[in-house]
Amino acid sequence: MSETAPAPTVSLLLVDDDPNEDVILRRMAAKVSTISIVLHYRQTIADALDFIRTQDGLHLVLMDNRLHPTVDFRETVPALRQAGFIGPIGVISSSLDDPYFQAFEDYGVDFRIDKSELDATAIEFLIREYVIRE
Amino acid sequence: MAGLLKNHRRYELERDLDKALNRVDFFRIFRSMALRYAFDHFGIVHLTNDGDASLLSGRLILHDLPSGMAEEYDKRHRFSESSVYESLITSAIPSVWTPADIELASGRNLLRQLGFDLLVCIPVAAPTSGSRYGVLYLGDQEELARGPFMELCYETVCAFDYFYRVALASKAGMGLTPRETEILRWISYGKTASEIALIVSVSEHTVNSHTATILKKLNVVNRTQMVAKAIRERIIQ
Repeated sequence: MSETAPAPTVSLLLVDDDPNEDVILRRMAAKVSTISIVLHYRQTIADALDFIRTQDGLHLVLMDNRLHPTVDFRETVPALRQAGFIGPIGVISSSLDDPYFQAFEDYGVDFRIDKSELDATAIEFLIREYVIRE
Repeated sequence: MAGLLKNHRRYELERDLDKALNRVDFFRIFRSMALRYAFDHFGIVHLTNDGDASLLSGRLILHDLPSGMAEEYDKRHRFSESSVYESLITSAIPSVWTPADIELASGRNLLRQLGFDLLVCIPVAAPTSGSRYGVLYLGDQEELARGPFMELCYETVCAFDYFYRVALASKAGMGLTPRETEILRWISYGKTASEIALIVSVSEHTVNSHTATILKKLNVVNRTQMVAKAIRERIIQ
């Protein structure tokens, strides 16, 4: 009798000032049947920095581009890197059209994705691309 | 994009293609293209004879197929023996397949084996190297009309051309970027990927990706040879 390998567990942090996005992402993550996703949520960059400093084994960060009141990924992602996080960071935004998105790699970002493109298939691809394949 | 002229018509695709920088960007482009034409999934397969040519999972270089689907297929079937694979090898004309096609011989019917009702295969060739690939779109809808089908084929050729140039091409002989030179210098100091990630404020994944690109550009096989060649070529002191 063949045994099925257990689903890998991946720890993911969402940083977004809108708590509704946490609810939406949780629903999407629940649809990823082949990976067990432990989703953490922080509403501010300060809380995210505290979390990163105290949490071991975090695999992937999804960072909302604009956090209240005005900061964007050009400030938040370098702050996460300064805090010592060397895992993959993806920026999510409702619009990737701003020219500064073309320089995302210069700010320590691994990938960008539009909120409208984020679904269970995309989440699974990102985890396989940046976590499991590593 | 270097090597492309205004004469290479890309129409409204040019804006998105010019912006694409990594595999995730191309995943987004191909996936949105698949969904725009009402397909469920896409997959890009390399039509090489290297390695185990029979495995679908080993040939897929970018896809959004459900996890494990290709591996399950490989347990029961051989992709290299499927009628669809044969058609990709024998002709560069795009093809459309449904499970009832008489051309899909029993035991070689990729559509039935994967559980879809429609498959579009678009053969593409890599610019400069000429290596052959196939872009597959899978879904359960009715067959596309002639106009949308031709648009899909054209858009796929354009998108693959960019994908190859950005993500797949051997970059041997090309110059290093400032970031690659910086990472090369830290490698020459004996730093590990995770240490370099901390120093230059990027992810370990990015450091490994830059390192792989440097290996390709310098045409070397390991970090020791990389550093030796970089010193010899006076890229670093």
